[in-house]
Amino acid sequence: MSPLIWSLLITSLATSTIITMSSHHWLLAWVGLELNTLSILPVIIKSHHPRATEAATKYFLIQAAAAALILLASTLNAWQTGHWSIMHTSAHTTTIITLAILLKLGIAPMHGWYPEVLQGSTMNTALIISTWQKLAPLTLLYLINNNPPTNILLLMGVISALAGGWIGLNQTQTRKIMAFSSIAHMGWLIITLNLSLHLTTTTMMIYMITTTAMFMSLNTTTTKTMTDMGMAWTQSPPLTTMMMITLMSLGGLPPLTGFTPKWLILNNLCHMNLLFPTIILAMASLPSLFFYIRLAYFTTLTTPPNTTNTHHKWRFKPPLIAGLTPATSLAALLLPLMPMMIS
Amino acid sequence: MLKILLATAMLIPTALLIKPKHLFTTTSAYAMLITFLMLKWFEQPLNHKPHSTNTLMMLDNITTPLTTMSAWILPLMIIASQHHLVTEPVNRKRMFLATCATLQTTLIMTFTTTDLTMFYIMFEMTLVPTLILITRWGSQAERLNAGMYFLFYTLTGSLPLLIAILHLYVSNGHTTMLLLAMQNTLTPNMTMIMWLACMMAFMVKMPLYGLHLWLPKAHVEAPIAGSMILAAVLLKLGGYGIIRMIPLAPQMTQTMYFPFIVLSLWGMIMTSLICLRQTDLKSIIAYSSVSHMGLVIAATLINTPWSTAGAMILMIAHGLTSSLLFCLANTNYERTHTRTLLLTQGLLFILPLMTMWWLVASLMNMALPPTINLLGELMILSSLFNWNTTTIILTATTTLITATYSLYIFITTQRGTPLPNKVLTPTHTREHLLMTLHLVPLTLLITNPALMF
Amino acid sequence: MVNVIHFVREWWPVTLVPIGFMVGWYFDRKNDEKLTTFRNKSKLFQRELKPGEEVTWR
Repeated sequence: MSPLIWSLLITSLATSTIITMSSHHWLLAWVGLELNTLSILPVIIKSHHPRATEAATKYFLIQAAAAALILLASTLNAWQTGHWSIMHTSAHTTTIITLAILLKLGIAPMHGWYPEVLQGSTMNTALIISTWQKLAPLTLLYLINNNPPTNILLLMGVISALAGGWIGLNQTQTRKIMAFSSIAHMGWLIITLNLSLHLTTTTMMIYMITTTAMFMSLNTTTTKTMTDMGMAWTQSPPLTTMMMITLMSLGGLPPLTGFTPKWLILNNLCHMNLLFPTIILAMASLPSLFFYIRLAYFTTLTTPPNTTNTHHKWRFKPPLIAGLTPATSLAALLLPLMPMMIS
Repeated sequence: MLKILLATAMLIPTALLIKPKHLFTTTSAYAMLITFLMLKWFEQPLNHKPHSTNTLMMLDNITTPLTTMSAWILPLMIIASQHHLVTEPVNRKRMFLATCATLQTTLIMTFTTTDLTMFYIMFEMTLVPTLILITRWGSQAERLNAGMYFLFYTLTGSLPLLIAILHLYVSNGHTTMLLLAMQNTLTPNMTMIMWLACMMAFMVKMPLYGLHLWLPKAHVEAPIAGSMILAAVLLKLGGYGIIRMIPLAPQMTQTMYFPFIVLSLWGMIMTSLICLRQTDLKSIIAYSSVSHMGLVIAATLINTPWSTAGAMILMIAHGLTSSLLFCLANTNYERTHTRTLLLTQGLLFILPLMTMWWLVASLMNMALPPTINLLGELMILSSLFNWNTTTIILTATTTLITATYSLYIFITTQRGTPLPNKVLTPTHTREHLLMTLHLVPLTLLITNPALMF
Repeated sequence: MVNVIHFVREWWPVTLVPIGFMVGWYFDRKNDEKLTTFRNKSKLFQRELKPGEEVTWR
């Protein structure tokens, strides 16, 4: 891909999200979403193999369908209320828009496309899809928060947290595992929309930090499957140790950053007397923790002189990404700064 | 307070940065020094309890003995693991020592914190270094499974605890243990589920019979340091938690404790009987831990001054004794490379000095008179007897079976004919030092048991 | 001179634990002073400084 086109795509990728974020008008928000989809598509399809094509097609179909649904709902809204403002939507249109956005985010009953797309794209593209591409739909959810369909958000959040952990148990490809981890985290994130928007921001920031750290580590060690992980330590033992810590942080083990959103969300749910969802959510974090720990076993906890069953894999030595160190340390050590984050 | 905590925390960079030549000597010497400084905590001139407080931490007569014991175990862990680390490259030795020091730091914080939320976080934080100890430095493939069992039993038990703590926070506006125990606002409307949520985490951690399946696995697969800290301190986290949680809901405890006491007393008999038919040395010691912890659960749940004191004494005694037994089992394992009892017979003829330690350890385990094990068991037995006379049938039977399996361990390992063609190295001074350091507090504490409660 | 440098390079991590102890000691003392000022505000428990005494919390 020529540098000109590449820079154009990246610019429009950034700009489109910002357009959606800053728009006040449904049409402009829709334009931003579509532009966002269109500018990520060449990036996904850039490595020309069938899986990439499949991933790009799936991504396009899903995103276009969701955007069309949003356009339909906003038109309906304009018809009912007489204006195109994002901030004022009626109850029915809000429900439709929320469902469309949840489809865009890959929340559980509509998550089927998400692991496939991540598996078909490269590690860096997968990182973009699972972090940056979430921003635009989420801002729309923020903006229609004056009248949110709370039951739908709560139900789908719980289902997503459960399903993400449960189906992820079955995976052996790291990108698919990360996809299911992302689905589970998105479930927690969706629930916070009912509680407080500050909390949503905190959860999203921490989700992005931990996911970025994990994808960067996977990219640096060129780890595509779980068996690749067994020999990742030969490249950089400290990196694999940090990978283990990052994985535990993703799983939400207490002293690490990943526990922050879990703690705050459970606390807020307790505040609302929603004990049943609280217990289900807390327990839903266990299956995800299981596969994170399994990955951690492969990375660091079975290194020689213990016996391993994995083959040595030929790896080029890629340069260490500059953001890796801050990302992993943030993914590990942010919990004590929690009071600053939520205020 | 912070003096000790920060010094312990600084053991981590020390272990990572010191020259390899001085690695073990410096870390174990400093760990020992910190333990000796910690003895200052026993001095309570005005008998103010809790004392030495700051805004987040406190020391009282439950915290101090347990913290000091965990600090005492750290140098012993370092001494005990020297042999199995000898082939490792120096960076891995550093990581091992750093993991142990991290575990120690988190344990001090768990025991001394006053805030329940902080307690929960630190309680969970001890899981990570322990998991690393078990799964990274264990020797067989089954250790991964054991690590999973360990982690998920504990987490499943303690997630309801987190929700219960958050619920307490929401209804009271704070989670300080001392204030919650004093004002007791929750007791009337504290439902059965809240009580269960508060207690189950510790029941799993102790472990209660029926929830104990992770323990033998973890003990058998862990390296020596992991077994030692697991038996000596991590199980005591459960007892500590129960003692701390009961003042929050004394009335509810009175109605809820029957199934747990029944299960723990019955479990004592069952696990002691299981001990009698094990073939694996470490597994016997692990099941014996479950059996002893049954007494502690029953004693902490009936919650009289005598029983709590007895539970504290038994926790300290059992921590040192089982750690000693694991060390002995490990010295055998390092020589014979097997833990199977049938293959390690007749060690009396090969390692006569070690036989003396085995004898003393077995006698300690079965609670012979001048030891604190006996004192603890007697106090628990008599307070349980006072609670309900029929418990004496179960507890006395357990004492009998405990004596039987202690002698069973001793006789099968030490007597009999040794297998031919075995060349075993003689005992090192390091190992004698290790056993002595376990036995000194065990034998000396009987002169002043008031230190422990 | 070379010996001193060598000695320092060999042994400097040994000072980490005493440094931790000193820092902890300092913070403990500050904390005690802070808590004592609170105590001295109460009429029931406050204490005057006796002659030859530096702080009221001992």
